[in-house]
Amino acid sequence: MMGEGLQDIDSYADPVAAMSRALSAGDERAFRAALSSFDTVRDGEVLTGIRKVAVDLQSALQRFEIDSRLIGLAQREVPDARRRLAHVLKLTADAAHQTMDLVEQCCPLADQTLREAERLLGSQAVPPAALAADVTVFLRQAATDMTAVRGRLAEVRLAQGYQDLSGQIIRSVMDLVDELERALGELVRLADYGDAVKTAELSTRALQGHTRGMQGPVVPGIDHGDAVSGQQDVDALLSDLGM
Amino acid sequence: MEAQRDMSFLVVDDFSTMRRIVKNVLHEIGYANVTEADDGTTALPLLREGNFDFLITDWNMPGMPGLELLKQVRADARLAKLPVLMLTAEAKREQIVEAAQAGVSGYVIKPFTAATLKEKIDKIVSAQAAAA
Repeated sequence: MMGEGLQDIDSYADPVAAMSRALSAGDERAFRAALSSFDTVRDGEVLTGIRKVAVDLQSALQRFEIDSRLIGLAQREVPDARRRLAHVLKLTADAAHQTMDLVEQCCPLADQTLREAERLLGSQAVPPAALAADVTVFLRQAATDMTAVRGRLAEVRLAQGYQDLSGQIIRSVMDLVDELERALGELVRLADYGDAVKTAELSTRALQGHTRGMQGPVVPGIDHGDAVSGQQDVDALLSDLGM
Repeated sequence: MEAQRDMSFLVVDDFSTMRRIVKNVLHEIGYANVTEADDGTTALPLLREGNFDFLITDWNMPGMPGLELLKQVRADARLAKLPVLMLTAEAKREQIVEAAQAGVSGYVIKPFTAATLKEKIDKIVSAQAAAA
């Protein structure tokens, strides 16, 4: 039981001397009182030893937990994160293409309206009566084209929803990177200092990092399980539930 | 039944882009009275103080998520009957069932179309008017 942190052997000096005196004097009461003090000192030493073993055991268990968590992160969640980011790339690319498609559909309509307006403005020499029919055709066409442009602009706006969807995925990957950083930091501290108590506290924090889980949009190829495939599925499910 | 166009909406989403999109779509379908909040924690006092007719909320938000907000609304006697539409990317069946059990009035998944949002709002407003 000797070792760092154990009670000094001097602590035994007083009770042993008292026992010796009581024994010489034949004083049983004093002897038992001194024996009791001796036991108190000894119990303290045993408790200190048990505490140290418990802390070492806790530290070992937590290191084991960090190791297991790191293996899980490396084997499953880091590759998943890569696929999530790939899905973000696809989402942003699709949204950019959709936006550009819509803009490209709008441009000819605007060009046509502009050209026809310029033509009519340039035909000032033509008598107004002769121009009236052309103006009517132009206005009808402009109304149709501008309705189409308006509709496409609304779609461009909706396409910006990609920022929310990709943002949620990026946020979940950031949580994962945060957890990885903390778990790795814990391993480094363990290796450098071996400060069992400090490590025990920090390890608990490191392992709390992933409580939010991977919420957010369903990412193809990763989020298996029972997800709906579109609004029609949602409506059918709610209808089944009596809504 | 024709929807009441002066209805006041609270739109709750942590992404400002999505709040802006929803607000614009609401304007487009005739609802001009729209207030925004970025999660359940900021939405709840607004709901308790304000006089909102309709709540549109995201699910996955830091702070108080949409499901918790829905539960708090249903647990508050003054807000219990407020129409709540969940507008979210959460698409797992168990989540939709959970929202239904918590008393959601409608559920629209992202990405959504303006037509879908309008249809669901109209349906909820009509159902509420019929129940009144």
